[in-house]
Amino acid sequence: EVPPSCTRGCELCSEYNGCLKCMPKLFILLERNDIRQIGVCLASCPVGYFGVRNPDMNKCNKCRIENCEDCFSRNFCTKCKEGLYAHKGRCYPSCPDGFSLTNGTTECTS
Amino acid sequence: AARCAAPCRCDGDGGADCSGRGLGAVPTGLSAFTYYLDLSMNNITELPANVFKNLTYLEELRLAGNDLMSIHPEALSGLHQLKVLMLQNNQLKMVPSAALRNLHALQSLRLDANHITEVPENSFEGLQQLRHLWLDDNNLAEVPVEPLSHLANLQALTLALNRITSVPDHAFANLSSLVVLHLHNNRIREIGKNSFSGLDNLETLDLNFNNLVTFPEAIEALPKLKELGFHSNGIAVIPERAFLRNTLLRTIHLYDNPLSTVGTTAFQNLSELHSLILRGASKMETFPSLTGTVNLESLTLTGTKISAIPASLCEELRLLRTLDLSYNKIKELPRFQGCFHLEEINLQHNRIQQIRGDTFQGLASLHILDLSKNEIKSIDKGAFSSLVALTSLDLSVNALTSVPTTGLRALHQLRLSANLDLKGTLEPRSLPKLRTISVPYAYQCCAFAGCDTIMSSSGDSERKMDTSSKGAGEEVAGERIHLAVHCLPSPGAFKPCEFLLGSWMIRLTVWFICLV
Repeated sequence: EVPPSCTRGCELCSEYNGCLKCMPKLFILLERNDIRQIGVCLASCPVGYFGVRNPDMNKCNKCRIENCEDCFSRNFCTKCKEGLYAHKGRCYPSCPDGFSLTNGTTECTS
Repeated sequence: AARCAAPCRCDGDGGADCSGRGLGAVPTGLSAFTYYLDLSMNNITELPANVFKNLTYLEELRLAGNDLMSIHPEALSGLHQLKVLMLQNNQLKMVPSAALRNLHALQSLRLDANHITEVPENSFEGLQQLRHLWLDDNNLAEVPVEPLSHLANLQALTLALNRITSVPDHAFANLSSLVVLHLHNNRIREIGKNSFSGLDNLETLDLNFNNLVTFPEAIEALPKLKELGFHSNGIAVIPERAFLRNTLLRTIHLYDNPLSTVGTTAFQNLSELHSLILRGASKMETFPSLTGTVNLESLTLTGTKISAIPASLCEELRLLRTLDLSYNKIKELPRFQGCFHLEEINLQHNRIQQIRGDTFQGLASLHILDLSKNEIKSIDKGAFSSLVALTSLDLSVNALTSVPTTGLRALHQLRLSANLDLKGTLEPRSLPKLRTISVPYAYQCCAFAGCDTIMSSSGDSERKMDTSSKGAGEEVAGERIHLAVHCLPSPGAFKPCEFLLGSWMIRLTVWFICLV
């Protein structure tokens, strides 16, 4: 029986920090709760985070690409903020030289 | 109000969250205008035909974390506007190619963390708009070459954490839009010479944690490559001109390889490279040519047989900030004059015998200098004179007889231990900022931390001016220096035994007499 403080999919639960280790193939997301970090197990990382899979641990990492809402990886954006245009995994206020908007999308192509 | 299906929660804008509710099947009664449906983390085991046929406006469908072992070929029919489909963390053994066929608007497809061993040839045929594909953490034994060939617009692909053992020639030939390719944590031993042909726009290639034993020369086909990782493999040799056609490289991760030889011209003309870390290339004897790699800020080259540093180093690497050349066989140092931005130099564990006056001239930004574990006998009097920002100097384990302190006014930490011929005392006034010092002998600490015979009763440290340091033109007349200096070994007024008398008995007797 998993203590109430841990979500489904937790393999190693702690009273103060939520989940310490998730079941295989699930991502652990560290949420902040005042001064504490609470581990939560998820099948997909929330918006603004991207999943990094490794043999020993799958983790949700914050997406830090400028003007990006959602990432595929540390250096590739899948969804730019409103009003910005995506090009090769980056976000631009306007399409780079030599590229233009694909009709009906917010993506620049040659 | 838009209809919602119990027990989901709908936000009124077409979003329906039915995640984590222990559902065994897709709920019915959802609004036809639903554009976002989250069914993740339930217990759904199958998707019957036409189960979403009313949701023609659906753009994002999340089915992650269920127990789907297969998907009916008609399960996803009607979803003409679907852009994002998440099927990760299910029990699929094969890519549901028939079900995916008509998703012509799909841009993101997640199939990661399933048990996929097979990718039917026609799997992605209808997905001309696909941009992002996750196939990592499955059981693929080979690159699905034919299925991938349908994806001309794909920009990001991960095949990491599978059981792929080789990458055949032309494996990604049609993926001319691909920007990111992750292949880490597989068992790749061989990469064909033309494996990456066609990847004209690839910027990131991750080959970390594989079984490569030869350098992946196929990267020649990647003119736009910016980030390359092949750390944690079995590569012993980096060939000459290894990155000749990858001039945009910014980052190369190659640690944790049994490197023995590195081509002298391997790292030339990489004008975007900021950091280069080469450890333990044990057979390397010549310093690599870094001509054209002009923006390097950090260079680590350790554990080689290199015995000389090119005199032109600082003419080429003007932006260098950290230089670690420890654990080589370097005998002589060039002038580092052109490297104005240098903040840290580590030359520990080499064979340096002397430091000339001009070696470190002009390095006004240098903070840390480690020359420990060399064979340094002499240091020119003015060698440190322009190191105005130096805070840490390690000269321990050398053969010094004296140490010039001119210019070391900012020094916080000085290490001189294990210089057995260094018997003179240092003058604290020339090191006003000193906080910690280690010296060869206990009596030398008396100048910094006070010994019983010298301290006055008020406990303040009054120092006699040492004329030799006055001669250096720096005089601190009449200033009372309160020295909170931590000195090792702990101060002891007496010189070492071999200086004075032979036996401990005599030394204890003398102490006893002193105390009585």
